[in-house]
Amino acid sequence: MDNNEKLKQVFCQALGIEADQVTDSLTYNTIEEWDSTAHMILVAELEDTFDVMLDTDDIIDMSTVGKAKEILAKYEVQF
Amino acid sequence: MIKVFDSAKGPVIKGYQICLRPVVESDLATLQAWRNSDAVRQQMLSTELVSSEQQQAWFNKIQRDDSQRHWVVEYKDQAIGATNIKARFHGETVEHATVLEPGLYIGHPDYQGNIIAFAPTLALYDYCFSHLSVETFFAVVKAENRAALKYNQQLGYEVIKNAELIDLNLQKEEFERHTALLRRLLSRPSSKNR
Repeated sequence: MDNNEKLKQVFCQALGIEADQVTDSLTYNTIEEWDSTAHMILVAELEDTFDVMLDTDDIIDMSTVGKAKEILAKYEVQF
Repeated sequence: MIKVFDSAKGPVIKGYQICLRPVVESDLATLQAWRNSDAVRQQMLSTELVSSEQQQAWFNKIQRDDSQRHWVVEYKDQAIGATNIKARFHGETVEHATVLEPGLYIGHPDYQGNIIAFAPTLALYDYCFSHLSVETFFAVVKAENRAALKYNQQLGYEVIKNAELIDLNLQKEEFERHTALLRRLLSRPSSKNR
């Protein structure tokens, strides 16, 4: 499984949504499932999956799926 | 978790990556623009546009009104919103009131619908529960404002009256229990502090 697939799987599990909903433009707080509680679960699962520790600025900035990829890339996760 | 500094205009509260500083006169144009923006105004109990004269009169009033305090929310040294507390019952000061009504809006469009919106509330409530006499926060939201209702419930608020306007209550224990994970995430080191 490549990192794109892993990322999609994390979003599906953390937010409880279908894979076809996970697009780069999917945005925090625009769907019922991606609220602050889910965001916290998402952060924890991303950190476990990609073995990184995000700082607070990144947790705040991670407002879309595309942004999550950009942030993870800073931690040397390749997409 | 928070640090509180005295200033001539009142307490400055820092924590969870944000700073709450008392509103000053030079903020009025920004606050008026935010308050009159569709995104903010439509969620307010009063949706009428605010004139410059009304904004100035409001500012003059809050300078001498002990029953309310207003702060500008800053993130990364940039103003992004405003928050306030008001004594729930007539004649009480914010220092001595046991019930406070909070207010918050994020005016900067880049930060609306962002998880940073929880930071000013975490900092403000921590300050109120540790420095003031408040025991209960009381909030009123429009029934159609599902985002505000959900936001408050994620802080631990419980609905006490469900009508066109929804009344909610929050005690310290519920607040701390519901926000434990959120406050840990927002208290992590920031890259600019490294």
